[in-house]
Amino acid sequence: MTLLTVTSLTKSFGTQTVVDNLSFSIEEHTSTALIGPNGAGKTTTLSMLTGLLKQTSGSISMEGINDIRRVIGFLPQYPQFYSWLTALEYTEMTAKLSGVEVKKARMQSQKILEYVGLGAALHKKTATFSGGMKQRLGIAQALVHQPKLLLLDEPVSALDPVGRREIMNLLKEIQNETTILYSTHILNDAEEMTDQLLFLRGGKLVERGSLKEVRTRFDEPRIKIQFSSPSEALQFTSQSELPATTEGSVVFVDIVLDQPTMQQLLNHLANSPFTVEKVERVTASLEDIFMKVALDHESV
Amino acid sequence: MSQFSVLVQKELRESWRSFKLLWIPLVFILLGVSDPLLNYFMMDILKAVGGMPEGFEMVMPEFTPADILAASTGQFQSVGLIVLITAFVGSVSRERQNGTATLLYVRPISYVSLFLSKWVVAVLVAIVSIVAGYAASTYYTIILYGTVEWDRFFAMVGTYIIWICLVMAITLAMSASFKTVVAATITIILVLVGLIIDSFIGSFWSVSPWKLANFALALLSDYYDKTDFVITLGLSIGLIVLFIIIGIVMSKRNASTTKI
Amino acid sequence: MGELQSIPWALIAPLFIVQLILMIIALIDLSKIHATNGPKWLWVIVIIFGNLLGSIVYFIAGRKQS
Repeated sequence: MTLLTVTSLTKSFGTQTVVDNLSFSIEEHTSTALIGPNGAGKTTTLSMLTGLLKQTSGSISMEGINDIRRVIGFLPQYPQFYSWLTALEYTEMTAKLSGVEVKKARMQSQKILEYVGLGAALHKKTATFSGGMKQRLGIAQALVHQPKLLLLDEPVSALDPVGRREIMNLLKEIQNETTILYSTHILNDAEEMTDQLLFLRGGKLVERGSLKEVRTRFDEPRIKIQFSSPSEALQFTSQSELPATTEGSVVFVDIVLDQPTMQQLLNHLANSPFTVEKVERVTASLEDIFMKVALDHESV
Repeated sequence: MSQFSVLVQKELRESWRSFKLLWIPLVFILLGVSDPLLNYFMMDILKAVGGMPEGFEMVMPEFTPADILAASTGQFQSVGLIVLITAFVGSVSRERQNGTATLLYVRPISYVSLFLSKWVVAVLVAIVSIVAGYAASTYYTIILYGTVEWDRFFAMVGTYIIWICLVMAITLAMSASFKTVVAATITIILVLVGLIIDSFIGSFWSVSPWKLANFALALLSDYYDKTDFVITLGLSIGLIVLFIIIGIVMSKRNASTTKI
Repeated sequence: MGELQSIPWALIAPLFIVQLILMIIALIDLSKIHATNGPKWLWVIVIIFGNLLGSIVYFIAGRKQS
């Protein structure tokens, strides 16, 4: 079932169009990654979805819901809390403001804080929290009213590797229970947790689909050959007439219209004097696709 | 209503935990105490400090209780107002500037409750401070200068509180409209420079909200024009409502400027 | 000095006590607060030697809070 439909969403500041005619929809219980370089309009898009910014034109709609703010939870990239409130007080306040019954607010807050791993810090003032703890509290306040759609702006970008791993695991768990739309410029994160990819560039949606779809569309299958030395790699490239590129002692052979096949290449290598350490077929990483999508649209 | 009470609780916690509810009343107590004491001991202090020529007779004016309360009001009108304005002028704007407002604005909140909760708590802190200040001043006044007429005294404090409600409404409306520094500048100009102008050339008009404190003091005696007083009071209450509306509208309009 | 002794200290004492309380509250707040604008030790000096004004300035300008 479709949860959110965004149609021709546009935001201009003066003559500058930051989000340009954006249309997409989000299915229930899926994760959507909004990817793009800095300044692509990711945060602006999320701000419009939360109602913080009013769109210049276009529409955002959820079936049967008037005030979208009632059913979303939002985590900004750098969530800021009131330093003089404890984690529990803060979460309880946000729960009540989001319409959770006063009687249930405290229990629900306690539960969600324990869930995100802040069970031991319930009564600590948020002023003392580390970056990772703040992100956890940020997730707690976004989830406490059991929203239908969770919006996360760069949820792990500001964290150190350990904190990033922990929060990613937490998000993967949450993914099973709600619908998530999150922005990121870190493609490894997107690769880990996504049903739908939305590539944003210069405010325009330049590519969309599942990871698999985008991959097949943009994949340029290649064969990676690891030689024992860079000189061997160079020699191989210059001798063979294959479309190949050299990177140190590694050679990438492009497969064009299924040629050459792995078999052909192996035969070729077997008859050559070089020491081959490894041969494998590689598919493009999201990063390669990302670069390709970005460059493609640069030339347009 | 429940949302309003949640927000009032939040503002009260802020005022309590930042000690605003404690230090501002203490400052007003000190302001209230200083005039009755200083004036009473002025002669002794001058003598003790010395430097008086031989045979110099200084004639100290005889102060009435009303004079002393007027002097204390003068303290509240200068130092007191500056303290109250600077303590609350960041109330709306600071939350936008540091981004704490973001996680409130993305919720289905009403900007009416949001603004009113801030105004109500600011007014509460101000009233506690004013009452504490006048109580301290009056305590010393009664001991040192003689008693006051209580019904007139309460009328005066009540009228002064209306003025403070207006000052807080202006302060918060400016905070909702501008960044903290700009809001502070405009509020100080509107309130304090307004008071100075009114005291210099205010004799050309008989009704103005800046005269409210003067009317409050005049209530201690009978020498005032009742019609002018009532009109000024009505005008001030009207302005309170106006600035609250400005504050609500501007809070909503500036919501998108919160740091994300 | 006779004049000084004639001053009724019972009347004036509350003035100093209130000022002392204000200073103590400022110091307690300073010790508990996470961050201040400028170094903390500077604010200790301002509060202790700045009398009434020192404490007021600390509460208005010294506290860094979100």
